[in-house]
Amino acid sequence: MADLTLTGVCKSFGALEVIRNVDLQVRDGEFVVFVGPSGCGKSTLLRCISGLEDITGGTLEIGGTRMNDVPAAKRGVAMVFQSYALYPHLRVRENMGFGLKVRKVARPEIARRVDEAARTLKLESLLDRFPRELSGGQRQRVAIGRAIVGHPQVFLFDEPLSNLDAELRVHMRAEISGLHKRLGTTMVYVTHDQIEAMTLADKIVVLRDGRVEQVGSPRDLYDRPANVFVAQFIGSPKMNLFDAAGLAASLPGHLRPASGAVRAGLRPEDMQVLPEGEGLVSGRVESNEYTGAGSLLHLHLDGLGRCLALYNGGDAPGEGAGISVGFDATRLYWFDGQERRIATRESAAGIST
Amino acid sequence: MTRFRSPAVRACWYLSLAILAVPFVFPFLWMLSSAVKSQAEIFSPALSLLPETWHWENYAEVFRYQPFARQYANSLYIAGLVTAGTLFISSLAGYALARIRFAGSGLLLLVLISALMMPEEVTIIPNFFLMKQLGLMNTHMPLILLPMFGSQGVMATFLMRQYFTALPPELEEAARMDGLSRFGIFWKVALPLSRPALAAVGIITFLYSWNLFLEPLVFLSDIELFTLPLALSNFTDAYGLPLWHLQMAATSLAVVPILVVYIAAQRQIVESFALSGVKG
Repeated sequence: MADLTLTGVCKSFGALEVIRNVDLQVRDGEFVVFVGPSGCGKSTLLRCISGLEDITGGTLEIGGTRMNDVPAAKRGVAMVFQSYALYPHLRVRENMGFGLKVRKVARPEIARRVDEAARTLKLESLLDRFPRELSGGQRQRVAIGRAIVGHPQVFLFDEPLSNLDAELRVHMRAEISGLHKRLGTTMVYVTHDQIEAMTLADKIVVLRDGRVEQVGSPRDLYDRPANVFVAQFIGSPKMNLFDAAGLAASLPGHLRPASGAVRAGLRPEDMQVLPEGEGLVSGRVESNEYTGAGSLLHLHLDGLGRCLALYNGGDAPGEGAGISVGFDATRLYWFDGQERRIATRESAAGIST
Repeated sequence: MTRFRSPAVRACWYLSLAILAVPFVFPFLWMLSSAVKSQAEIFSPALSLLPETWHWENYAEVFRYQPFARQYANSLYIAGLVTAGTLFISSLAGYALARIRFAGSGLLLLVLISALMMPEEVTIIPNFFLMKQLGLMNTHMPLILLPMFGSQGVMATFLMRQYFTALPPELEEAARMDGLSRFGIFWKVALPLSRPALAAVGIITFLYSWNLFLEPLVFLSDIELFTLPLALSNFTDAYGLPLWHLQMAATSLAVVPILVVYIAAQRQIVESFALSGVKG
């Protein structure tokens, strides 16, 4: 187990700068998740930590030791790949013990560690099978087992669940979370699935264009996003954005937008869809997507434009229905001209329905 | 297979295939039949696959007429060496071209592939002078070296390269994380996974070397050093006319190893060619 420290880390492929000056501190035993849109550099950053890619600037330390020029196998990290990367010509037992064999660990010790990992991951009955004889979930568990047997200081996961079906993904997510609790090892996990990020992470790192946009706990990122990008990336469906002046006109007199605010954000789950005349802003329903537990309403609000609202319950207004929208003003987010969130004293605001 | 569910349709289909197979199978049967006929019966107007009298002694005569056992052994050991050497070189070179980034690798591949376009007849004279200068005339060395480093070697390298290119890079990255060197990755991961390609390249190379005719004709003069294709053309009478019954008997002996190897591994040959075409 070890701390992981990135200081000014950069990575370029020729003239193309993929990772730009990333600073990050991961404490021993922490579960950190990198999220961001495709091409944001999250997998590249993980590969830089693993040693599969060299960094072109900055410093990378694991357990206080500078690792910039240390080969991948000697960094004390283990990686679980998206495609599992199990050796097809080796049985599960040999796959799991392969790294130890390369490192010339004694055979009895290899057998002991493989058996131990197999017990942890419930793989005992599969040890003599080939990867082609396993299901997707079993392969994923073998890939994790292969990482465990080396007793690494840091586990790296590169979108490990993206090849599994939805049900298995939920199951494996719980298994990985349980594994982290049992082992207590530092884990760095890459995903584009924000549900995975929110449920697994102690700390989420949001990346965009190779830069860190914000680092924080899932609740921090949801409640206090640093900017419009994070606000819209965290949360599903994504946050609605309105023109601040337009929205201000709908607010009661004692509630004014934060100073310097250009845009206002409101999450779909914070919007209350009410009968006409009962809310702050009137509008109509453009379409209604029934989701079982409720509906996702596509609204057009007068003077504010299109937005989304979550409606809980089965009696959601239908297409074309006139509605009005209310909201708790403490749930409003204000952003300045540079798209940064303006910190406000939320407690001062009142309920505005 | 739903198309052939009806027995009548299936019967028609098999009958058509059987008719189409005749031009391919008949010469082979004719060879086996002629191998046990007399020279006169081969040319008798009554065409028959079954001989009137079975001349099994033709096979013994093959070995008396010239040192056929020695020539058979020559072909076997040369083809074996060429196959082993080609597999070694082409797998290493193919892996390097597929996986190692180095300046000019694309250009090198282009040059190699363009070498495939050049007929061997064009290079035989320069090769003759080269081998003569190296003092390798009337030895087996040209028959071993030229296929390994010539167009057959290039073909093998290209096939191996295509196969290695199709291997998932994550496997090699996992091997790197496990602590293997570049050669270790090649030896312990890439090579074991390329067994179908190795089998196909091995068979194709063996066939190539086994059937080589022009090079032995140019480089060998001692009958003891002859390989089978050259030996087969040597079953002639005093006037230089072919002794067909002996030629056919010798040829039917010559095809045995090829048939055995080909039947055993034909599926892997097809797989390898399909892979190099689709995934390359």
